[in-house]
Order: sequence, then structure tokens, then C-alpha cells
Amino acid sequence: MKIKSPQDFWAGLMFIAFGLFFVVVALKFYQMGSSVRMGPAYFPVVLGGLLATLGTIVLVNSLVLAGPAVAKFHFRPLLFIAASSLAFAYLLKPLGLPLASIALIFICAYGGHEFRWKEVAIMSVVLVIFSVLVFVEGLALPFPICPDFIEVCPIR
Amino acid sequence: MDGIFSNLAIGFVEVFKLQPVTMWGMTLQHVPFNIIMCLIGCLLGTLIGVLPGIGPVATIAMLLPVTFNLSPIAALIMLAGIYYGAQYGGSTTAILVNIPGESSSVVTCLDGYQMARQGRAGPALATAAIGSFFAGCVSTLVVAMFAPPLAEVALKFGPAEYFSLMVLGLVAAVVLAHGSLVKAIAMVILGLLLGLVGTDVNSGVLRFAFGISELADGIGFVTVAMGMFGICEIIANLEQKEHREVFTSSVGKMMPSKEDWKRMVMPIIRGTALGSALGILPGGGALLASFGAYTLEKKVSKYSHEFGKGAIEGVAAPESANNAGAQTSFIPLLTLGIPSNAVMALMIGAMMIQGIAPGPQVMTERPQLFWGMICSMWVGNLMLVILNLPLIGMWIKLLSVPYRYLYPSILLFMAIGVFSISNQPFDCFLMAVFGLLGYVCVKLGCEPAPLILGFILGPLMEENLRRAMLLSRGDPWVFISPSKPISMGFLLASVALLVIIAAPALRKKREEVFVEET
Amino acid sequence: MRRLLVFIALAAAASLAAAQGGPQSWPTRPLRLVVPYAAGGPIDISSRLLAAKLQESLGQPVVVENRPGAGGNIGVDLIAKGPADGYSLVMSAIATLAINPSLYPDLPYDPLRDLRHVTLLVQVPNVLIVANDLPAKNVQELVALAKQRPGKLDFGSGSTGSTGHLAGELFKVMTGTYMVHIPYKGSAPALADMMAGRIHLMFDNLASALPSIKAGKVRALATTTLKRSSFLTELPTLDEAGLKGFDMTTWWGVSVAAKTPQPVVDRLSADILKAMDAADFKERLRGMGSEAPAIRTPEQFNAFVASELKTYTALVKRSGAKAD
Repeated sequence: MKIKSPQDFWAGLMFIAFGLFFVVVALKFYQMGSSVRMGPAYFPVVLGGLLATLGTIVLVNSLVLAGPAVAKFHFRPLLFIAASSLAFAYLLKPLGLPLASIALIFICAYGGHEFRWKEVAIMSVVLVIFSVLVFVEGLALPFPICPDFIEVCPIR
Repeated sequence: MDGIFSNLAIGFVEVFKLQPVTMWGMTLQHVPFNIIMCLIGCLLGTLIGVLPGIGPVATIAMLLPVTFNLSPIAALIMLAGIYYGAQYGGSTTAILVNIPGESSSVVTCLDGYQMARQGRAGPALATAAIGSFFAGCVSTLVVAMFAPPLAEVALKFGPAEYFSLMVLGLVAAVVLAHGSLVKAIAMVILGLLLGLVGTDVNSGVLRFAFGISELADGIGFVTVAMGMFGICEIIANLEQKEHREVFTSSVGKMMPSKEDWKRMVMPIIRGTALGSALGILPGGGALLASFGAYTLEKKVSKYSHEFGKGAIEGVAAPESANNAGAQTSFIPLLTLGIPSNAVMALMIGAMMIQGIAPGPQVMTERPQLFWGMICSMWVGNLMLVILNLPLIGMWIKLLSVPYRYLYPSILLFMAIGVFSISNQPFDCFLMAVFGLLGYVCVKLGCEPAPLILGFILGPLMEENLRRAMLLSRGDPWVFISPSKPISMGFLLASVALLVIIAAPALRKKREEVFVEET
Repeated sequence: MRRLLVFIALAAAASLAAAQGGPQSWPTRPLRLVVPYAAGGPIDISSRLLAAKLQESLGQPVVVENRPGAGGNIGVDLIAKGPADGYSLVMSAIATLAINPSLYPDLPYDPLRDLRHVTLLVQVPNVLIVANDLPAKNVQELVALAKQRPGKLDFGSGSTGSTGHLAGELFKVMTGTYMVHIPYKGSAPALADMMAGRIHLMFDNLASALPSIKAGKVRALATTTLKRSSFLTELPTLDEAGLKGFDMTTWWGVSVAAKTPQPVVDRLSADILKAMDAADFKERLRGMGSEAPAIRTPEQFNAFVASELKTYTALVKRSGAKAD
């Protein structure tokens, strides 16, 4: 057994995993029902089974037909981009839009190729002013501007 | 025919009416107030359409209290302007940065963004604007002339018909991918499964939520689209070798070339026709229109090998289709009082609060309002094209901004947009998860577009299948009985399409495997 | 950077200054009104209207915040568990206060213990409508038809566990008939299927059904309230038509955390009532199908919630509907 198409091999595995996951969870927790009154498990079981079957086809094919290798994963941008959106999401309510935006910009800029402190700082200021004006003032999104610990916000 | 013209005349008179306006204590005589409202709506719509994640629904809801100080006609003209302005703006973001803000611009991303990367953002944006304008004009006429009979057609669509239409749509979704056929089908099914997360419409049972209450209403489309397109694209761009810019440095021409014009004409016409037809169907009509048009072009075009790599047809057809659909989606509202999507539901809300009961009687009881609104759609489309063509210059300049400035801004706007949907961190978390999933999929040679379409259509398909089975008391022949010719037609068309897709794929299978790139 | 520091210093100073004021000066900062549904629905729209009015009378911004999820439970829970300082309000409704407690097995809040209900804002009656081609011309004929064809009639609803669904179940229980429930996602697609004759009847709220009734696309047989609706005065109530005591309305109103100080609740209630009595606001709410509620004080509203909760707990149990 030799993997001739790594890309398909892993894709096949991914589909099988997802398919089985949905089938198992649906069978375990929800009712199948009948074809007249289909239960909540009916559709996911059928589709999950189908997905697993297709995954198997892809997997078997990958052992027979040659195909491309899996391109290298780059963890640096992946990590920083994910971290920056999470930081924004969880800081927005406690720290307010400006500080959360600055956190996002700095973290994700750090994940890029070149990080110039000054540039990023200027960019933050511009983007913060823009977002406060457009999103909070203009579109009235219910985002806090000041951090939580400031009782009365001087803006708005 | 004469009737139509006199009606349109009533409408245009209403739209261009000069009226006294009091503002800040000053009263001005002879102000073309309705036109100004239309312009404001279009501008605002374009703005929110461009901003990823901020949709017309939230904006219109927010503006509703403001509109109560306006006359009903001015309010409705403005709100309608926001709606189709957002369509225009949405395609701009799709083309420039590969983010579909609305489900109907998913397919615009495929070729529009590729064109932008090749330095052809100008022609892509112009094509989208021109296609949308043409579609807007034609479909406005369709609304004016055929609204009542078309509404009757829409009523012919019951659960069985919708289910069969969804099947056809899903088969068509496979065509969107240009890699392996099996993997594309698997991605559609994965999308269908992800769409099932949340409360089951039929039984009320919560599925695949694992005790996370934020998942109870399912995963939002915007969240998935931002993750799998937006986040994934940023990561993919950042992993490129140092200093390589994402977009070719030469900004390129702004307007389409002669060759482009020639190539876009037929797709625009076909897209408009398809969009006008499917737009009248509530629930997923406009979406099916846009990628139905794409699929059609990919099959009939002699440039089909260019699709997915920056074919102008791949922008012209879906853009025309979704704008045509956006106009004709007013038909169920105007003739039956039934909203065909969330924006239309809000329009009904706006009308009712203004003391107007939407429905067929509006046409006879308040002709100025009815025809004024229809004419304002045409005027609005004209405004949008006039507004957007010069803006193209600005947009393509934006692309010459170094990517290291561009991506933090895009990410910030996406995060703000996604957060604003339900004002909780969880959606941003999900966006990151889908970014990760999208990245893994791309690495494994699986394209995200079929998944997203499956994701949108999945819940609709299950809902209608189960409803059809309930109504027929479990008779599976309900989908192909002679009493349901529409449903049968769609299913036959799906089989035919599947054969057309599968035949060359089976033949070329060995080569296909090697044609993977990026 | 320096600008930012200056900004923080200013903000801190301002916050100190404000902390001196006592609670009697409520409100001293912006309020938030949580809408536990996505933007755009009738509850959201009426909340935005109210927020604009309250902003005028309270002299502080009232920010509407949409927190959809889990049938509205997430947003309501947020306020139930939040600070009881009078700055956080929620637009709670029949679903979140009376129906969900028995529909969802582990509701995170107790609608009576964790919340104080301030003012009932909107009450919309449901109407029983039937497809035009259904031979039944009144409630008695409908009941007779349902008895004659048990299990053959379909009734639609906007979702499982909605008032429309529960009204149908109550109808079945009271008349001893059997009909099949067909759930939809919102009442618009159900109405469309009814116009096309694919389903036979439904209990829809007046606001969404009124345009179709007026246009003659569907036929109204009765309202579900004890009193006739002022929108359709010629239409009998189910109570008059023989289903004694049949009374269901869709309603929503403003609630706050249970421990919110009484003076704040009183002030809030007074201001909301003032808004509701203003002619323009009244007219807008009427446009949404609402009759001005007779329940006005916080005490009445709290008692009303308690009695509705009891009614629907029994009803949900009888209908067998559940979400888990």
C-alpha cells in the first residue's frame, strides 16, 4: 500500500471523518423516524453515509492514481490571523472598539512578512477613527468605545 | 401596452416630483425630494454592501425609525435603494478582495477575484456594473408588465417543486469547481451537513449543537463565507514568498476592451433572463439565479476552460442574474403581500407601519406609490451605474496599496461585520474555525464554493423534502408524478445535467488529477 | 500614542466625576435595549421605535443591541443574569417568557424569579385563516369538516412551538379533532402555500395575515382573542364561535433584571407608557397589528406573565411539542 496522491488521501480521510461524525452523532442522539415523518436524524445519516462513501472513493483512488503532494502548511499566518480575530472578538466588549481594533491590527500585522512598528501604529489610528465614525456613529452598531472600567465615556 | 406607459408616467412624475421640504427650520420650495432619497439610499446601500458582513437587513432595520418622518413613497424609495445598492457594493468586495458579503455574490468571487489578481479589476467591476444595470432595466420592465401573472407562477411552487429545484441547484453547484468531480460532490455534501447544525425546522430538535447555545440558530452564512473565502484568502496570500504582491502592480485599464464587450453581451442577456425568472421564487431564488447563470455560461461558453481563472462571462452572467433577481423579488411582495426574503419582510414592515397594507390592492388604491416605487428602481439602477463607474478608478487604486496595509483593514472590517450579526464573540471564533477549515480544504485540493452553496441550500432542501413528505403522507412519487410537472421537470433536468457533467469528467479523469494548481 | 494617553486620562477623569452622582440621578449613561432576535422582525422594529422615544424622554442614548440565538433565550438570559442597575433592558416576549420554559428542558433563567417585567408594549391577536377553496365558511363548518375527515386537514405554522402551532393544538384539543401540523420557517412561506391551496388552515398573527385577508387571498374565520379585533370588527372570536374561553395573543414588552431598584422600574414604566400614549407611536404600533394593551403597570404585567406561563406550560405539555 503506497499513497500515490497524498492530497486525495488526506481529503478522503477528512470526508470519511466528517461523514462518520455526523452519522454517529445523529444515530446516537436523534430519532430516525420513518420516510413519512422523517426524524431529525434521517437527513444527516443519509448524507453522512454518502459523504463517507465518497471519502472512501477518494481514498482508494489516492492509492491507485498518482496526484499532487499536499502543499506545505504555513502556521505563522494561520496562527496570527486566527489569534487576531479572536483577540478582537473577546476584547471588544471589555475594552471597547478602539482598543480591540488596535489589538487585531497589531497581532495580524505581526503575522505578515514585515512588521514596521511605526507604520502599523499610524494604520491603527487611521482605521480606528474610520471604524468609530462609520460603524458606531454612522451605522449605530452597539459597540462600546471606552473600556468597561471607565464609567462615563467622554465620547457619546 | 398603453396602460403600462401611462402607469410608468404616473411613476416617473412621482419620482421626479418637486415638493416643499422643511429642514432645520428652513423651508425650501421645489426640492426633488424623492430623487434625493433615492440617491441617499443608493449611496448608503453601496457603502454597506462594500463593507463585509454589514448587510442591508440590519441597515434597513436601523433606519426604519428615521423613515417615519418621511412620506411613504420617499421612505420606500430610499429603502429599496439601500437594497439594490447593497447588491452593487457586495459585488465590488467580492471582486476586489474575494469576500462574498451576500450569498448571491459567492459565484462572483470565483472569476471576479481572479480577474482582479490579473490586473483586470477595472473591467471586472465595469462588467458587473453594466450587467447589473442592464438586468435592472429589463427586470424593472418585467415587474411593471408581468407582476400578477408571475406571482401566480410563484404560487405553483410548493415543497415538492422547491425540493426538486434544490436538487438541480446542487447538481449545478458541482460545476462550480474545476478540480476533481468526486471531491466537489463531497464538498457539496459536507456543506449540506454543516447547514443542518441548529434547530430542526420540522421537529424543533436541536442538532449538532453540543450544548453551545450560540449554535442553536445554526451557523450564519456570513460567518462561513468570511471564514472560507476571506480569512482563508488572507492566510494563503501571506504564505506567499516575501514581498510578492498579491495583485499585479500595473493597475491596468478601467474599462472593458472591445473583446470584453463582445464576450459579455450574451451572458448578460442570459443571466438577466434566468435571474428575472428565479427571482420571483421566495427562498433562495436570487441565489439559485446567480449560480445557475454561472453554470449555464460555463456549459455553453466556448471559453469554458477559462472559468475559475478570470473569465469575464463568469462575472457578467451571475451579476446580471442577481440584480435581475433582486428586482423581481419585489413581485411576491407587491402582488401577494408575501416577502420573498428578509429585506422584503422589512419592506412589508415599513409599509405597514406607514399605514399601507401591502398586496395587490396597493396597485389600484395607491397607484402613485406603486408605480413610483417601480420607476424609482429604474432611476436607482441608473444612479448606481453612474455612481459606480467613476468609483472603479478609486477601487482599483485601492488594490495598488501594499498588501501589508490592505489585509489588516480587511480583517478588521470582517471581524466588525461578523461580530455585529449577533453581538457576541462566538461568531468571530467560528469565522476563524471556518478560515482554518477553508485553508485545510485548499491544501487538500478541495474548493470552498460548492461547500458554501451546499451549506445554503441544505437546510432549504431538507425542510422542503420533509414538508413534501408530510403533506403527501409519505408518498415518494410526489416528486415525479404527472400532477407535478414542474418538479418532474427539474428532476429530469438534474439527471441530464449530471450526465453532461459526468461524461467528460469520466473521460478526462486521468488528466484532471494532474491539472491542480494553487 | 500620546494622543491615546491623553484620551485615556480624560476618560478616567470624566468617570471619576460621574461616580459622585447618586442613584437618584438615573440615568447618567447610555442604556442598552437587548433584542433577543436578529434585526428586522416586528419585535426588533418596535424596539427601535421605542428606543428613539425613550432617548428623548430619558435624555440618554438608548442603544438597541440584537442578541439572537436559541429562540431568544440567549438575549433574555443576558439581562436576567446581568447587572440590576436599570441600564440593561430586554424586549421579552411570549416565546421567551411563557412558551420556552416548557419547550426547552434546561432554560438558563426563570422568567418570574430572574426578571422584573416593566411594561407590556404590544399585543397582537392571532387569526384563524383558511384556504379559499376550503368549503368551510365558518368555525362550525370547519370543525365539522375536520371531524368528517380526520387526519386529512393540514394546519401550517411559522415554527414548532410558536403561538400559531400551539393555537392549532389547543383547537384540536378543544374540538376533539385531528389535523396534521406542518411547520414552516416563518409564516410567509406558510401563507404562500395556503394561497396555493397546499395547506388548509393556519393560526397566524394578525399583522402578517392582514394583507392577504384584505386582498381576499385567504379567508379569515375567527380571531383567537376574547374581544373582537378592531382591525376586523365583523370577524367573530373563537369564543363566540363555540370554543369557550379560547384566548391567545402574541405579546412582547420590556423586562429588566429582577433586582432592579423600584424607583428605576417606576420611572422606566412611566416613560414607556408616555411613549405608548403618544399619538404617532400609537399609530405605528397599530400598523403592526397591535391593540393598545389594557395591562399597564409593572405589577399587572408581572401577574400577566405568571398567568401566561401557567397556561402555556399546560398547553405545551398537552401538544407534545419540545425542543432539546
